[in-house]
Amino acid sequence: MTEALAAGVGVEVLEQFESEAQQRRAGILGMWSWLLTELLLFAGLFLIAVVLRVQYPDSVHQAVAHLKFWIGATNTAILIVSSLTMSTAIELSRLGHQRLMVRAMLATVALGTAFILLKSYEYYVDYVEHMTPFLNRPFELADDRPATLFVNLYWVTTALHAFHLITGVTILVIMALQARAEGYLRRHQNRIEIYGLYWHFIDLIWIMVFPILYVIGR
Amino acid sequence: MFELGLSAGEKRKLMARMRVPLFSFIALMGLLAVNVLLGATLPFPQVWIVQLLVLATMVAVVLLFSMEVLHEPPLIRLFSVLGFCWVGILFAMTLIDYLTR
Amino acid sequence: MTTTAYRDTAVPHGTIDAPDDYLHVTHTLRSWLLTTDHKRIGILYLIAITGFFIIGAIAAGLVRLALVVPDGSIFTNDTYNKLFTIHGVVMVWFFLIPSIPATFGNFLLPIMIGTKDLAFPRLNLLSWYIFMSGALFAMAAVVAGGIDTGWTFYAPFSTTYSNGYVILALVGVIVVGFSSILTGLNFVVTVHTMRAPGMTWFRMPIFVWTIYATSLIFLLATPVITIALILLVMERAFQIGIFDPALGGDPVLFEHLFWFYSHPAVYIMVLPGMGVISEIVPAFSQKRIFGYKFIAYATIALATITFFVWGHHMFVNGQSEYASMSFSFLSFAVAVPSAVKVYNWTATIHKGDLRLDTPMLYAMGYIGLFVLGGLTGLFLATLAIDEHVHDTYYVVAHFHYIMVGGTMLAFLGGLHYWWPKFTGRMYNEAWGRVSALLLFVGFNVTFFPQFLLGYLGMPRRYHVYPPEFQLLNILSSAGATILAVGYIFPMVYLLWSLWFGKRAPDNPWDAKGLEWMTTSPPPLHNFKTPPVVDFEPYDYALKVPERD
Repeated sequence: MTEALAAGVGVEVLEQFESEAQQRRAGILGMWSWLLTELLLFAGLFLIAVVLRVQYPDSVHQAVAHLKFWIGATNTAILIVSSLTMSTAIELSRLGHQRLMVRAMLATVALGTAFILLKSYEYYVDYVEHMTPFLNRPFELADDRPATLFVNLYWVTTALHAFHLITGVTILVIMALQARAEGYLRRHQNRIEIYGLYWHFIDLIWIMVFPILYVIGR
Repeated sequence: MFELGLSAGEKRKLMARMRVPLFSFIALMGLLAVNVLLGATLPFPQVWIVQLLVLATMVAVVLLFSMEVLHEPPLIRLFSVLGFCWVGILFAMTLIDYLTR
Repeated sequence: MTTTAYRDTAVPHGTIDAPDDYLHVTHTLRSWLLTTDHKRIGILYLIAITGFFIIGAIAAGLVRLALVVPDGSIFTNDTYNKLFTIHGVVMVWFFLIPSIPATFGNFLLPIMIGTKDLAFPRLNLLSWYIFMSGALFAMAAVVAGGIDTGWTFYAPFSTTYSNGYVILALVGVIVVGFSSILTGLNFVVTVHTMRAPGMTWFRMPIFVWTIYATSLIFLLATPVITIALILLVMERAFQIGIFDPALGGDPVLFEHLFWFYSHPAVYIMVLPGMGVISEIVPAFSQKRIFGYKFIAYATIALATITFFVWGHHMFVNGQSEYASMSFSFLSFAVAVPSAVKVYNWTATIHKGDLRLDTPMLYAMGYIGLFVLGGLTGLFLATLAIDEHVHDTYYVVAHFHYIMVGGTMLAFLGGLHYWWPKFTGRMYNEAWGRVSALLLFVGFNVTFFPQFLLGYLGMPRRYHVYPPEFQLLNILSSAGATILAVGYIFPMVYLLWSLWFGKRAPDNPWDAKGLEWMTTSPPPLHNFKTPPVVDFEPYDYALKVPERD
C-alpha cells in the first residue's frame, strides 16, 4: 500500500525484525505465500471438475441442473459485499478510526455468517431433494455414475470452502474483539491488512467455485 | 450503526480512500450479474467460453484492486500470479492425457 | 506522516545480547519445548528425524531379511506388504523430506544470510509440533497394525480393498504436509526480507539458494497431495467414487494429483543435498565454487522443470501415449541442470587444495553415486526401456542411489561438516572416515545388484521370486548389514563427542561463509554484532594463479 498511514497508526516491531517496514513486508509476503498454497489446494478439485466435464459432458450437465443456482448466485453476491466491508475495515485502520473499523469487521463477520447459514439451508434442500449420494438415502441421479461423481465433487468442494470460511469468520471475530483494545492500531495495524488479504482470497476462491460448479455446463 | 462520528474532513479522506474498493465492488457485482444472466438464459452453446472470460476478469479485479496488487512491489505481483501459473501447469499437463485418450 | 516503531530504547540498536551460546543459555526442558530459537528448533528436528530414521531402517532391515529366501516364507504376504509400506512412508515423509531443510535449513539459513532468526519464529515452533502430531498419527497406524498400500497409496486398493489403517496413516501424512508448508513459507519470506545489509542474492551461499528453491516447491506442490489424500479419505469413508473404476471414476486421476507433488517431492529431497555438497566441496578444495551463477540458475531451473515431468511415473498406467511422450521428453530436460551442478563441483575440485576429511569423503561419494542414480533415471525416462523395467528392482535401485547414495550421504556429510558449529565439539576423524567408507561400500553392495535384478525382471514389492535371483538378493541383504554398521557408528561417536569430544574452534575447516565467522556454538542471536556483508561468497585465496 502506497498511501501513508495516519499519525499514531503503526506496528510494534517484533524481536527478530530490524524495522517496521521489514516486519510489514514479511507479513504481507507471508500471507501471499500462504494464499499460494490455498489456491493449489482447491486447484486439485477444479481439475477434477474439468476432467469430468471433458469426459462426461452430458452427465455433468445433468448433475449441474440439480444444483441450487440461485442460492449459489446469492451467496456469491454476499461474499462480494463482505469483501467491500473488509476493504472498508482496512481503509479505516489506515486512517486510525478504531471504532468504525471494528464495526466494519463485525459487518464482515455478519455477512460471512449469512453465507454459512444460506449454505446450510442449501445443503438441507439438497438432502431433502435426494442429492446426497454418499449417504444411505435414495439418490436422484443414481443410475448416472459420472453425474454421481460430479455431485460428490460439489459436496467436497463446497464443504472445504465452507470450512475455510468458518475458520476465517472465527479468526475475524477474535480479531475484532482484540481490536477494541486501547492502542491496538498503534501496535498491530498490519494485522488488519494481512487478514484482509486472506478474506479477499476466500471470496476469490468462491468466485471461482460458483461458475465452475454451478454455471458452466448448465 | 451508520452514524459515523467523523468530521467533514475525515469523511472526505475516507471517501477518497474508498474509491478503489467501491469500484471493485461495482465491477464484481456487474460481472456476477453477467454470468448469472448467461447461466440463466444460455443464449448459445459456446457460452461457457464467455463465462470463463468473465470469471477471469473477476479474478483479475479481486487481485489487482481489492488485494491492491497493482500497488504492490514486483515480488508480491509475482507471487500473486505464480500460483495461477502453477495451476496452469497442473491443468495443462493433465489435460494432455485426458484430451488425447 | 511517518509511522512509529516501538523498541526498548534502553537497548542500543545494533548490539546483540547474551554472551552464552544458544545451547547453554537456558537448560530446562520447557525452554527447549517452547523455544522459538531457529537453532534449537533445528536440533529438535534432528532428534526427531533420527528416531524416525531408525524406525524406517528397521523396516528396511526386515524387508532385506525377508528377501534372503525366494519363497516368501519368513513373513506372511500381509506382513511383508506392511513392512515395505512403513519403510517408504516413514523414510519419505518423516526422514528424507524434513532431513536437510528442517535441520540444517532451520539452523543455518538465518546465520548464512546474516540475520537473527527466521521471519516467523513462533510459526517455526508450530511447524515442529505439527510435524510431531503427523508422526503420531502415522505411528499410531503402524502400531495399530500397519498399512499395506505402499507409500504411493494407489486407488482403488487403498480406498476399497486394503484392510489396514489407511485413514489413520493418510491423516498423518496430510498433517505432516502442513509442517512442510509452514517451514517453506518461513524460509521463503526470510530469504526475501531479512538478508543482512550487503547480502545480495548473488552473495548468498548456494546452500541458501537450494533451500529457497526447495521451499518454493514445498509451497507449490504440497497442497496438491493434501487434496489428493483428503479425497482418498473421502473415498474410503464415503465411497465418493472419483478414483474408483467400479463407480465410474478414474484411478489414474489420483495418480496425476499424487505425482504432481511426489515428483517435485523427490527434488525436495535432492536439492538441499546439492546445497550441502556445494558448501563442502569448496571448503575442502579451498577453492571458489566453479560457475556460481550457473549453479544458482540451475537450482531455480530444477525447481521449475520438476513440475513438468510427473507423468514419467505413469508411463504404463493407462495415460495417453501423447502424455507419455511429453513427460518423457521433459524428463530428459530436467536432467540437464543436475548435470551442470555435477560438472561445477568437479571443476571446483580440479586443481584445488584437496583435503579428504570425513565431510569431503561423503561429498565425493555423493557425486559418484548421484551420477549413477541420475543416469539410470534417464534410462527410466526412456519410454521403451521403462516399459521393461517399470515396477522392477531397477526403479528401486535408481531411487535408492539418489535418496541414499545422494541425499543420505549429503545429510551425513553436512552433519559432520557443521557438527562443530552445532555442538561446539569435534568428532573423532578416524571413526568418521571409517564410517564413510563402510557406508559407501555397504551401499553399493546393497543396491548395485538391484539394478541387475530389475533388469532381469524381478518385480518390486514382491517377496516371492524366482530362485535364480536368490544369489543377488543375498548379496544385497549382506550389503545391508554393512550399511547398518555404517549408520550405527556415527550415531555412537557423534553422541560420544557431545561429552568427550575436543572443543571446536570457530572455524575448524578454514571455510568461508558467515556461519564460520561466529562462535561454535553460535550465541543466541547468531552474531555478537549484526554483520554487514561486503565480500563475495567462497572467496578463497586463489592457490593457482588464473590463466588469462
